[in-house]
Amino acid sequence: MHPFSVLTLAIFVAGYITARWDLVTRLYELALFAWDNGVISRIALGCAFWSVTFLFLFIPVRHIALSEAELPRGVENALKTGILLRNARNPVARIFELCGQASMHVLGLTNATLGTLFDPSWVQAITHPAKSLPRVTCTKASSIQTILFDRPNPRRMQYISLNPIALSLSDKNQTSYGGSPEPEVEDEKQEQKNKRNANHLVEKIKQHSVIRHLPSSKDKALAKIVNQINWAWELEHLLQKNVSLIGPRPKRTLSVSERVVEHATTMRDTAVLWVWDMIIIYVFPVVRRAFIITLLAHRLIAEALLLVLEWRLRPTSPALKDISATAQQVEIRLLQFCYWPMQYVKLRLRKNDWDSVTTSHPDYIRFYNSLWLVANDVIIGIALGTYIIENAEWAADMINMLLDKYTITALQSSISWLMGWPAGLKLNSELALFLGDLFLWVIDYWSSCAQTLEPLLPQIIWFIGFSSFAGASMPIALLSDLLSALTLHIYSFYLASARIFHWQLTILLSLFQLFRGKKYNVLRNRVDSCDYDLDQLLVGTILFTLLFFLLPTVIVFYLNFALALGGIRFELRDTHNRHNFNSTSISSSSSFSLSPTSLIHLKVMQGAAVYRYRSVANMMQPVPLEFSAMFHQYFQMGNRLRKHYLSPGVLFCLVTGRFVPPIHRKNLYSLQYSMLPGRRAGIMEIWEALNSLPAKKPMGLHPYALATNAPMLNGRRQMNGRATRGLR
Amino acid sequence: MLTTSPYLRIRRPSPTAAEFTVSTLPPPTVPLRLSLYAIYLSQGLLSGLILLFLYATWAQSPYGPSPPPPPAPSSSATLSIQQRLLHAVLASPVGVLLATRATAALVVLPPRLAVPACLAALYALTRRLHVEESLLVLRGLGIQTSSSKDSLLAGRATTRFIPTEKILDVVINEAFRGFEVRYYLVVVVEGEPDVVVVFPRLLPRADVVERVWRGVRECLYERKVARLDGKAV
Repeated sequence: MHPFSVLTLAIFVAGYITARWDLVTRLYELALFAWDNGVISRIALGCAFWSVTFLFLFIPVRHIALSEAELPRGVENALKTGILLRNARNPVARIFELCGQASMHVLGLTNATLGTLFDPSWVQAITHPAKSLPRVTCTKASSIQTILFDRPNPRRMQYISLNPIALSLSDKNQTSYGGSPEPEVEDEKQEQKNKRNANHLVEKIKQHSVIRHLPSSKDKALAKIVNQINWAWELEHLLQKNVSLIGPRPKRTLSVSERVVEHATTMRDTAVLWVWDMIIIYVFPVVRRAFIITLLAHRLIAEALLLVLEWRLRPTSPALKDISATAQQVEIRLLQFCYWPMQYVKLRLRKNDWDSVTTSHPDYIRFYNSLWLVANDVIIGIALGTYIIENAEWAADMINMLLDKYTITALQSSISWLMGWPAGLKLNSELALFLGDLFLWVIDYWSSCAQTLEPLLPQIIWFIGFSSFAGASMPIALLSDLLSALTLHIYSFYLASARIFHWQLTILLSLFQLFRGKKYNVLRNRVDSCDYDLDQLLVGTILFTLLFFLLPTVIVFYLNFALALGGIRFELRDTHNRHNFNSTSISSSSSFSLSPTSLIHLKVMQGAAVYRYRSVANMMQPVPLEFSAMFHQYFQMGNRLRKHYLSPGVLFCLVTGRFVPPIHRKNLYSLQYSMLPGRRAGIMEIWEALNSLPAKKPMGLHPYALATNAPMLNGRRQMNGRATRGLR
Repeated sequence: MLTTSPYLRIRRPSPTAAEFTVSTLPPPTVPLRLSLYAIYLSQGLLSGLILLFLYATWAQSPYGPSPPPPPAPSSSATLSIQQRLLHAVLASPVGVLLATRATAALVVLPPRLAVPACLAALYALTRRLHVEESLLVLRGLGIQTSSSKDSLLAGRATTRFIPTEKILDVVINEAFRGFEVRYYLVVVVEGEPDVVVVFPRLLPRADVVERVWRGVRECLYERKVARLDGKAV
């Protein structure tokens, strides 16, 4: 204040007192009177009483109330009474069942101030923005192991598991596939034998461990811990939603004006919701019923087709699907189609459970994987089909030219070469002439047949191109079938010459025994010595010599056809493989490159070098699938092919002119069948499963479908900062 | 000088955890570190040069891109950062030198020989100098084996975590390899046909393996192991 105004004020006060002097004396008298009657001491007593009450009653009560309201005790109480788990979408008991605990507890605090820890067994974690690792302390524990993990988000289907996902159905019964007793394949037998041997070794190694360590409760808990980690995300959201219920404060209801504002803002949502509910109640059941009926009609057609494809003349004879690649392709598609409704039902049931239950994830991947595979197949097929249809004439010309060149002209020239003493070999010209003429005549007949087929070829190619709208593997399978049909003559030549060669070889063998004076005893399965008569020996020896001299001619013809067939067959096999690879490479890429279905192992990585406290911090990281594991099935298929065709058995068959058994299609296509169940679901089963699906509920009945929209921000309540601090 | 014979390092951050590392990287000293940095730097530079050489070869081959239009200021905006960077590198003295070198070298050496040679050199350059394999034991949780990968591009290490529940036994086994007997540590896992070999690439000496075995037993099962006198405990 300015000194001049202070002076003015002082002069004014002094003037006022001198003017009203009697008022001042009155006041002085009143004070004296009050002091005489004890008023002052009574006021002082009252003040003292109130301050003592305040000190000893109100402050402790307020303190207790505060601690009850905001500190972890409140959270612990809320957890015990189950307040925090209210309004759960799915049964809460499922959480405790899978996580192996009877209730939830507070384990400790993060970033709490000193002195707020009530329980010495509580863990305290202190995070620091500069450090990547939190400091974890606990007064009771002697040492602490920390393992950090990124919380898997179940909405994105992330989860942690100790084992990699198995996409193929493991519960499948291999032998019962197809519904009829199929003859066991040799390769499969061998594989099973190997597996048995491995199992035997495993059993033996178990007996070698000297001291058996019984797993402690800690060791057994790992699976449950993994489950708890998987549940963390969903539980956190549930708890955050109920955070406002902690503490004694009653929730204030909205005032009238607030209600008006809320109604105004959610008006549009309410209207949309009402329309949606009407659709769900009245339109949806009709659509659903119609869809189910169409699905069942499709299933009936599929069943009829499958019965045709699997029909066998006799139990041992091959079915249509074993002969033709097209039939096989159709069968795979039909089986997939039969399996989809069941898979879908399974996936729908998953929606009724918590997202964190991870048992159905392989089903999910399998379902969408096969859908994705078929979709890709169709997309590529459309591109391929349009190309083939546009160039049908040219493709037909090319195929005709190639077939003519390699299966007729080349064969004719090679046969005529064999007829005229090939490469200086002096063959029996009469036999060579006879065999050559025979084969040439059949080839002539076949070529005339092929020529009648020639004008039809563009139409056939067009049809093949058109079929590719059902997927790119279909035209390839059709082409493969067409090729094997057009080279049927070579196959029959091979069979005929192999049969002749084989007969001659067996006759030669038995005549050789006769030549040595021995005989094969069928009853004892051995070679016995035998006394032949002179004429028997003479005729036998003459026949032996004759056949022996005729053998080279037959061998040459046999080799010719075996090589020709080998070329054709390998070509066919090649297309098969390519087709197989084509469709299945998509499958693998789709199943492993989709981000929501990445595979996660448990991997522990050391982070302790950064971290100098007594506890160890480890980081859990997902382990990517190894390249070899990704393509394991291809390697297996390659191995099977190699084992089948590069085995001494096949060589022996070739040398002795026996029939080389082709590799079983089931072995080759096991990759695709591994995603399908061994037994397809019946029509009634599908009907029941589809009808058992819970009907879609109208949204308005959900108590908190709306509540999640309006007052929550990101699913957590922001204003209640006190309670969230204890939880995190 | 850069590598040693495999030796063991044991680290026990807490009484319930232990890490056994066998590596061929000698304990770090200042000259070693400097030389290693120099080697990494030269590796990076050399592989960059080889990649540039490959790019130049491709650009000069008939399959290469059509000759780029003269760089106008308007067209440079449409190019991506990588393309601009590549242009900048190619326009620099090093790039020009490489391009001339490439033309000169391609006259002497046809590309079908030069390209495989370059790829082989790249493969050699991306190989890891040291092998490091470790075994981490966490009581109550399990064992993790890890083994560093051959190539720098393949990632750090392949790891395998085995929960304690699944461990049947940890044993030392012996096997013939060529004309020598090798002792190796093996984890027998329940329900698996194959055992897991610890330190599969280095296969350290018997005394190292024995120390690791002892440590694993002690850490995993919380008890001391008696002397190993020819027979198992």
